[in-house]
Amino acid sequence: MGIRRNVSIAVGLAQSIIGVFAAVFAFILYYNFSGIQTVLNIPQKDVLFYMLVLIVFGFVSIVGGLFLVNGQ
Amino acid sequence: MDNDQGESRLKKEHGFKRELGLLHATMIGIGGAISAGVFVMLGHAVALAGTTVIIALILCGIINLFTMCSYAELGAALPRAGGEYTYSKAAYGGFFSFFTGWFEWISNMFFAALSAVGFAYMIPYILPIEMPLTSVALIAIALIAVFTVINIRGVKEAGTTETAMMLILLAILLAYIVSGMTTPQAQNVQVYAPEGFFGVVKATSYIFVVFLGAEAVAVAQAEIKDPSKTIPRAILLSAAALIAFYTLVAFVTLRTVPSESLSGQSAPIIFAAEQALGKAGTVLLVIAGTIAALSSLNTSIMAQSRVAYAMSRDGYFPKVFSRIHDKFSTPHVAVVIGSIFTAVLAATGVINFVGYATDFGFIIGFALVNLSLMKLRRERPLIDRPFKTPLYPFTPIAGIVTSLFLLIFIDVGVLSLGLILCLLAVFAYYARMVGYLRFRIAFGGISLSLGFFITFLAYSIASGTMLLSGLSPTTARILLFILIITSVIQVAAGILNVTAKKGAA
Repeated sequence: MGIRRNVSIAVGLAQSIIGVFAAVFAFILYYNFSGIQTVLNIPQKDVLFYMLVLIVFGFVSIVGGLFLVNGQ
Repeated sequence: MDNDQGESRLKKEHGFKRELGLLHATMIGIGGAISAGVFVMLGHAVALAGTTVIIALILCGIINLFTMCSYAELGAALPRAGGEYTYSKAAYGGFFSFFTGWFEWISNMFFAALSAVGFAYMIPYILPIEMPLTSVALIAIALIAVFTVINIRGVKEAGTTETAMMLILLAILLAYIVSGMTTPQAQNVQVYAPEGFFGVVKATSYIFVVFLGAEAVAVAQAEIKDPSKTIPRAILLSAAALIAFYTLVAFVTLRTVPSESLSGQSAPIIFAAEQALGKAGTVLLVIAGTIAALSSLNTSIMAQSRVAYAMSRDGYFPKVFSRIHDKFSTPHVAVVIGSIFTAVLAATGVINFVGYATDFGFIIGFALVNLSLMKLRRERPLIDRPFKTPLYPFTPIAGIVTSLFLLIFIDVGVLSLGLILCLLAVFAYYARMVGYLRFRIAFGGISLSLGFFITFLAYSIASGTMLLSGLSPTTARILLFILIITSVIQVAAGILNVTAKKGAA
């Protein structure tokens, strides 16, 4: 297994984990767990927008990361 | 399959049994449309249109009927599994048909999840028990599992279950209508439109969703007996029955309770039933609501599996989706995989928000079906058409215009979700149809762009160009740290994916 393959797996895993965190965070933000909207000073009317951005970002990161981990 | 002669051969779908008669098929159509939504949506519609909500419902029915005529013609001419997807495949093929099937598949899964959760939320109205969020999710998942088994065991079992549920539901609604018409406290319904004509239009757009789902007949069309006659009859019968039932239910509700009192009710029909029939009315209508939720769950599980099967048959989805069970003759793998997605959606609880995307998907589907009809009429005039849409081309054009008109009034958040679903469709299509490497490089490009954007964002915050108002210094520092790490990983991942070569990491 070459260096590039190892780096790809490490970076791919990190990217996928970031993606999962982004998607989970989108729901945390939506349900306002632990008053997260207040902590981050996000107005209620903008929550939908932030949620959409985080879900799209999460999706792209998970898929991109899986490409690197799978690496055919 | 490009010639019309070949089309008749397509009428036989391998593996499926034609077991559904006119009653079963009509009940699938009605059951697909009558969901728990109708029991709760009337209140807001009355707030928008007053007593002219009845006009709004009739308008919805007519708009629905325009497109149902197209479904009837195409369903009788191309009675293969897959419904809308099959029509657009015959008319356009390629991405257009994938797009149609994608929306149909996803919309039905969301609809199934919504119905399962809707049922769970109604249980406390019948049984004196507490219903925390976890229990709602567990009941919804258990329910999905039960209907998955019913749908695997055979279309006749699913169709019979649907027919039995719908007959009970329609009997309860009929009892409500008759009692509302004969109740001594009833009042005359005066014309009252608080927002005038615009209010009627807004109410039409808002309440149109209660008509969505009747096209489930088309999805199960490969399993309908004597399709050239039964499919158009079932589709048009269910569309007409829905207009009659909804209009009468709204009329009786307005006769029983003044429109001003209805607009604030979360479950206006149940409230009106209590006024007319007392406690027994509440119990009966709650039972009707739960049956409506169950029937739409059953229909949507069936619909999603047939779409997935058809897309797999044509190579858009993995082959495993098109496996037919040896004993039960159902696409069991497609049923199970779709149900797993549905259960996950139901478990997240976020479907109240995402579920609105179903409306977007169904309305887009309507426009695409009408377009498919017009293209097939022009380019393949010799296809055997046992039923022809009356007043062609006015009817499909009216179907397209009115469907798209309804989108104008859809909430901006729903349109954003629709846009995301469109993007996902593009990704899924190219992932499947375009080579692995090209798709990977494309994702690498997106990662790289995101990485640079986040780097710019982090630089702007660190240099003070962008101010994070209202955040404590500690939170701002944590946020900056997360952005830097994310940007580094995204850029690295982007470079690795963009420079990937075939057969290499």
